[in-house]
Amino acid sequence: MAVPFQCVQACRPDPQDHSSWVLLAASGPRIYSCHSSGATSVWSSQKISEPPVHADEPQEPPGKKVKLSKQAEEPPNVSKLVVTSDYQHLVAVTAEDKCLRVFRLDLTGRLEPLSERPMPKRPCAVTLIENDATILCADKFGDVYALPLVPSPTDADDIFVAAQEKKETSASFVPTATPLTVHSGRNRKALEDQLKQKLQPKTKGPLKFKHDLLLGHVSMLTDILYAEIAGEKAEAKPRTYIFTADRDEHIRISRGPPQSHIIEGFCQGHREFVSKLCLTGSGDLISGGGDDDLIVWDWLNSRMLEKISIKQPVLDFFKAHPQHARPPQESEGDLKVAVSGIWAIPSSSSRDSVLVTCEGVPALFLFKIDSEKKVSSLQQTLPLVGNPLDLTLLESGQSTEVIIVSIDHTREPGSTTMLRQKEVNVILEQLNDQAQGDGLLGREVEVANAENPGKQAALQDIFYGIENLRKRAGAED
Amino acid sequence: MPGAPSKRQKREQYKESLGKDDQSGALPKKKFYRQRAHANPFSDHSLTYPKSPSDMDWASYYPAYAAKVDESEATVTQAPKEEDASKQITRPVEIADIGCGYGGLLFALAPKFPDTLLVGMEIRISVCEFVQEKIRALRHQNLATGAYQNVTCLRANTMKFLPNFFAKAQLAKIFLCFPDPHFKARKHKARIVSTTLNSEYAYVLKPGGIVYTITDVEDLHNWMVEHFVAHPSFKRLGEEEQEQDVCVEVMRTETEEGKKVGRNGGQKFVACFRRMEDPPWP
Repeated sequence: MAVPFQCVQACRPDPQDHSSWVLLAASGPRIYSCHSSGATSVWSSQKISEPPVHADEPQEPPGKKVKLSKQAEEPPNVSKLVVTSDYQHLVAVTAEDKCLRVFRLDLTGRLEPLSERPMPKRPCAVTLIENDATILCADKFGDVYALPLVPSPTDADDIFVAAQEKKETSASFVPTATPLTVHSGRNRKALEDQLKQKLQPKTKGPLKFKHDLLLGHVSMLTDILYAEIAGEKAEAKPRTYIFTADRDEHIRISRGPPQSHIIEGFCQGHREFVSKLCLTGSGDLISGGGDDDLIVWDWLNSRMLEKISIKQPVLDFFKAHPQHARPPQESEGDLKVAVSGIWAIPSSSSRDSVLVTCEGVPALFLFKIDSEKKVSSLQQTLPLVGNPLDLTLLESGQSTEVIIVSIDHTREPGSTTMLRQKEVNVILEQLNDQAQGDGLLGREVEVANAENPGKQAALQDIFYGIENLRKRAGAED
Repeated sequence: MPGAPSKRQKREQYKESLGKDDQSGALPKKKFYRQRAHANPFSDHSLTYPKSPSDMDWASYYPAYAAKVDESEATVTQAPKEEDASKQITRPVEIADIGCGYGGLLFALAPKFPDTLLVGMEIRISVCEFVQEKIRALRHQNLATGAYQNVTCLRANTMKFLPNFFAKAQLAKIFLCFPDPHFKARKHKARIVSTTLNSEYAYVLKPGGIVYTITDVEDLHNWMVEHFVAHPSFKRLGEEEQEQDVCVEVMRTETEEGKKVGRNGGQKFVACFRRMEDPPWP
């Protein structure tokens, strides 16, 4: 069965030709690129081959079992796609090998792989800053790294030399504890063993490319944003901010580099994980996650402006569409909503609007945001033929946008687990009536009709991983 | 065949007996509160913590400092609007002992700073209960003088939730005494001091506020110095200034771990760091 697209991105890379477009879509380990002229290309991830470990080399001390990787032979699945604002590069994240991959994107949509950088932990969110020169990568361990989009060759050499020097100096192993350290009996024995062991090999080498650790949470990061606002004085440089959201309800606002160690504030008010952040056209911050409400923030003053229910529209939608398979609920109150995406719609009117999707809810929710009068409201609910997985906006003419939604055609609408009884042939659904969109859709179905080489379980997590962020009762004490 | 009562049974019996009236002045016995010396800071636990500092029910922890509801709002220290005034206290907490253990430092500092509110934060639930019991008993013993009303202990994972308890620039002193050394390189992110976590300490500290660290593990001491010195918001205190600080001596001699290390003939490494003013925007 064809695999749905977990990520879609549309853009118009050719500044000369405003009618041409490129659609980039990831399905399992593949990235499809589709140009309006009809040209289609596919890139497929391969497992990075690591040099084989020699058996006579000293191994990591026993204790941590190394997975004998059968699944590692599977090509890693793509979990994120980001196109630079000049449409010349694509940044993709592959989940299983934790790799950041950068491609050059030409005018016809062809992808040319430029670099692949394996990160220490799985990247959860990426964004581009400083005119696309730098990638910010937020990972599962809570850290945010800054990496150059296109690494310069001299950086790599410098790091290589530094690593070599370090290796020489740290050749002999010295245990950090001493017999005078307060210890239990068992610890003392472990220390004796350590002293007998002459040398402990490094399990993981340092990263072999330029990367700066900017900030970190002690929690899994879920989203990252970057904002620039005018300085207080007219001649001052613009002020830059990094927003990071985590699984422990926090939204942190830090200064942008080079002062990213300074925390300006926290937006506090969520009771469950935060999964998505979005800045509206007028600069308000909107956050959503496992709570029943979206929250609109005056983020400069760490102040909550407004709560907008997302649960009520979802309940109303299911009530109006009883045909959808829903997870069985005791009562309406038990419905758990997990926001999977928030997108700002550029609008010419004075009011902002955002599109919101929730995991396993086959609809788009359009909200008008008016934080000044605190009268934000649901504007429209757009039913879809299946669960939305990702969404992209393609500008078409003055202030109108085509919305392209990637649909999960393999699962029942309304369910994140149940497979569909009958096959539907819609993988991308396009809203707003636009002739060009239709052309774009039919072809995608064809290209995607290939067997999926990736693991289903891994994909399930990429498609529907948000609800799993929720904390479960009875965790260890 | 019933064997000797299990540890849990003994603890339950003991805690039941504590509830009786004649026991209210008795200090808790440590042997009923021991808990494994390590906790995983990444795990979810079942913690209770406020949504934000203004949401924190401090009044139940410092009943003697509870803001009078009928008084003018001027006495309420934090975010008087929209918040439940009955949770507020008349002055903000200014000293935090992170990983307070059995509370030796708290009980030594409380009389030295009678007008400052101190809080101990401990992730291990039994250990935290012990400190809370001891505070209750000491307050009961000192009803006449009102001593120990300025100290409390709560269970928290500060590595995740420090900003839920304290507002920006609220604290004057943070103590990190004999933290878990996490010897393995793989566990270094679990250490209480790291470049990224130091940003959170800087956030809750006032400019001029001080972080006190002490450990018996030289490598951990070097690690903490390295990471605080590398953080632009902190500057290490000079030897002389450090030794003049009354808290340093208390930290060396009064913490439970400090005493243990002393008995063992181990070394104690101290380092203190001052929170600098934030630089202007670039």
